[in-house]
Amino acid sequence: MSASSVGATDQLATPPVGPAPVVAEIKHGRWGDLWRAISRNKKALIGVLLLLLFVVLAIFPGQIAPYNPSAEIFTPALGPSRAHWLGTTSYGQDIYSQVIWGTRLSLVIALAVGGIATVLAVLVGVSAGYLGGATDGVLSLVTDVILVLPIFPLIIVIAAYEKNAGLLTLVVVLGVLGWSYGARQLRSQTLSLRRRDFLESALVRGERKSYIILHEILPTMTSLIVATFLGAAIYAVLTAAGLQFIGLGDPNSQSWGTMLYWAENNEALNAGMPLWAIAPGVCIALLGAAFALLNYAFDEISSPALRVRKLDRRKIPASLPQRESPTSGGEPPYWPPPSAGKPSPGSAAVPMGEGTVLKVEDLTVAYAADGGPVVAVDHVDLELARGEFLAIVGESGCGKSTLLYSIARLLGSPLPGEILGGSILFQGRNLVLLEEKELRAVRWRDLSVVMQSAMNALNPVLTVREQMRDACRAHSNMSNKEIEARSREVLRLVSIDPVHLRSYPHQLSGGMRQRAMIAMALLFTPDLVIMDEPTSALDVVAQRSLMVQIKELQEQLGFAVIFVTHDMSLVSHFSDRLLVMYAGQVAELSNTRDLFDRPLHPYSQGLLAAFPSVHGPKVQLLGIPGSPPDLAKPPAGCRFAPRCPRVEARCIAAPVPLYNVNGSVVRCVHHEDGR
Amino acid sequence: MSFVLRRIGFFVVTLWAAVTLNFFIPRLMPGNPAQAMMARYKGHINPQAIHALEIAFGVNNHQSLLSSYFTYLGNIFRGRLGVSLTFFPDAVTHDVKQALPWTLLLVGVTTILAFVLGTFIGLLAAWKRGGWLDGALPPIFVITSAFPYFFLALLAIWLFAIKLGWLPQSGGYDITDNVSWTWGFAGDALKHAVLPAMTILITSIGAWILTMRNNTISVLAEDYVRMARAKGLGPWRVMWTYAGRNAILPNLTGFAMSLGFVVSGAILVEYVFNYPGVGWMFLQSVENQDYALMQGLFLMIVVTVLTAILAADAATAILDPRTRDTR
Repeated sequence: MSASSVGATDQLATPPVGPAPVVAEIKHGRWGDLWRAISRNKKALIGVLLLLLFVVLAIFPGQIAPYNPSAEIFTPALGPSRAHWLGTTSYGQDIYSQVIWGTRLSLVIALAVGGIATVLAVLVGVSAGYLGGATDGVLSLVTDVILVLPIFPLIIVIAAYEKNAGLLTLVVVLGVLGWSYGARQLRSQTLSLRRRDFLESALVRGERKSYIILHEILPTMTSLIVATFLGAAIYAVLTAAGLQFIGLGDPNSQSWGTMLYWAENNEALNAGMPLWAIAPGVCIALLGAAFALLNYAFDEISSPALRVRKLDRRKIPASLPQRESPTSGGEPPYWPPPSAGKPSPGSAAVPMGEGTVLKVEDLTVAYAADGGPVVAVDHVDLELARGEFLAIVGESGCGKSTLLYSIARLLGSPLPGEILGGSILFQGRNLVLLEEKELRAVRWRDLSVVMQSAMNALNPVLTVREQMRDACRAHSNMSNKEIEARSREVLRLVSIDPVHLRSYPHQLSGGMRQRAMIAMALLFTPDLVIMDEPTSALDVVAQRSLMVQIKELQEQLGFAVIFVTHDMSLVSHFSDRLLVMYAGQVAELSNTRDLFDRPLHPYSQGLLAAFPSVHGPKVQLLGIPGSPPDLAKPPAGCRFAPRCPRVEARCIAAPVPLYNVNGSVVRCVHHEDGR
Repeated sequence: MSFVLRRIGFFVVTLWAAVTLNFFIPRLMPGNPAQAMMARYKGHINPQAIHALEIAFGVNNHQSLLSSYFTYLGNIFRGRLGVSLTFFPDAVTHDVKQALPWTLLLVGVTTILAFVLGTFIGLLAAWKRGGWLDGALPPIFVITSAFPYFFLALLAIWLFAIKLGWLPQSGGYDITDNVSWTWGFAGDALKHAVLPAMTILITSIGAWILTMRNNTISVLAEDYVRMARAKGLGPWRVMWTYAGRNAILPNLTGFAMSLGFVVSGAILVEYVFNYPGVGWMFLQSVENQDYALMQGLFLMIVVTVLTAILAADAATAILDPRTRDTR
């Protein structure tokens, strides 16, 4: 069923977790929102207009068609004329009138089959997914069997036995056989929904199953249900027309397929009446296209990943750098080179202090959103010494990861940001100005990355050996023997038995995968390793031992680390300095010990109070009330002001600069005197 | 149970379901067409043929429904599908064997070609996200993938055979020619295959392009693709081994599921072009009320589709190491 698969493709590709943002968007969206989304999408608009046209033709054929469609009263085989726009058939009927009258049956079949198939798909798919167990086993098997049975020949067999199948038989048979694809999709989405919090909470509330299915599950699956309906409608239009065309429908009915049947029987194409066949064919194609366009557009509307968003530079606030030739990161995975102001190799080379490995200056990063650009990293400065361990902490949505991936120049889906301004000096070169090709030389040899979840960061279809090998191949002329030796060596560094070189990622435990990724990052002993919450997927014991190992390796090999985490206590014993980020800005940057002993920013104080101290006295843990501001509309003054216990009038009045306090920097008016 | 074993089990279950449907449909239809047909043929054709028909339908008045069902299953298992009326006294299996190569060559080759080409184009479109390919393809192929096969076939005949006269209008070879293994015949057969092949290619490729494009877009957002970039791998390596290798996996599942759709289109295309394959013969048998042949061909179609699905499963097992491990 290729036509229906068009609409549901993202479900095929998405892992069983399901498209979370989609669900929220549809569930809480109103019909007005849906209509606005449709009218903004060209494909959807064309689909809706075509469908409306056919609906009008189907309801008022008598008013629109000039003649009785079956009356054989005109000169046969006329060409197009003013009286007969599309000419006449060899029986002397008006083709134009026949086309208009034919709309009704085609549309009725499409809608009725779509309806029956959707109801069955929802019933089977949702019960299978929700009830699970043996019910699921049986229903899934039935679904899969019907899915792969060639439906069309089966329908022909049935139609052959029941000659001139009436409308009802046709609709029932098509509907009963056409639900399986949708059922399969609905089942897998129900399975993923079952593990969601809102269903758990409904269960805890003691709601009945029927209530949960009707009020909690179905509304969240609106987009998939619509896709099922549209897919089944396309299939009905094409199959019914095909059956009528080969003479298995009622030959006296008024439909496009039947017109084609008579045209073919009278050799209309050979006999100079091509419009007899072409006009109804075009209508079938248009009706199919209307459903297909709607289906595709609906897919685009409900899964934002399929849309390309472009950063609208006109909407960037005037306070931000308005660069003419920034690197754009919106188009994964390789950016187009900066269009203007192309850097000469010399201009990218920047002298830097001997002990400094990385210097970020005034870095500003924004990403495109429906409401306009959102600045996720706002004028950030930082400097990193050789062999230093810098931790970046903050709540989710503070721009930590965006900062990290900007430094690594890895923005792009799923973090589609663009660097608007600033510089990233590394090894005497400004990474911001480098093109992808030049960046490749720096990557991994000098700067490597360890990601949050090794489960997702290792390619599932390649062995550890192959993934080590392609990194080596990209940056050196090492022989296979040397690559093998080096791969074994780095695996031993992280205490993994080299036999696992031949393992696939799914064959390793979570901790081993993470270690394997760290081993991979050390293949060339780079100057800087960027780590994005590398321990967050592990349990507490494994976290601790991995941290110890990272620290040991760092001391042994001398690379610098930027380590992003939301868990301050995790890095307290390992990092040299701490950068606290809030709402895209640096809130505080201090030595780790200083920050733990005397946090300056109220946000740092709040973060510290939210985590238990391992050694300190027993104190009440306090969270920070509220949540970080929406970066699309940050507060005018101090961004932390709305949640700050020490807020004053001057905090809200104007943006707060960074103040130097005994070697630390802090963005808080309470320290403007440098204390 | 391993993935492959599980799929073979599924193959058997589906085949059994098709055979069972084949047995019960003629009995459950109003007026029991199987019985009616037997009554109609009695006296017109020889007892041998009647017996063959009895085999084809498992109709035997002395047996209970259940025991005739098992007799029928046994006959199918031994490849006894009865005798064709259209091509009397050919056995149905003989006719099927004659039509099958034509369909396998025409539909098989074009389907694989469409899958390979479509997958590649879809990958490229997603890779050059926002480029001209990505901008132009979806609207075009959304429409072609919902285009009626038989209508495109009619248009192709009208334009290229009737108006322009470039290519033959119908058949699988020139009827003045004899079916033989010569270059001349092969060239003639190829000429006859161009229009039907193009029809199937154009209408089926859109779905592969669109699914592959959307799969690739989701895969490009995966961490391992970002990791590949971080490793500084060349763009081709990232596109093939990281994005493509992973994005094609759901497309292979999709291949299995879309096959039924392709087959139904192919039946109509063969019909329109009078192409001497399984689909054309199938519709001939329907027209001639040659139910034995019709049911035999239906089973043939099911087996072919299932075999193709098994092949797609095997490809999945080769490309995705996760399926190879026992779960």
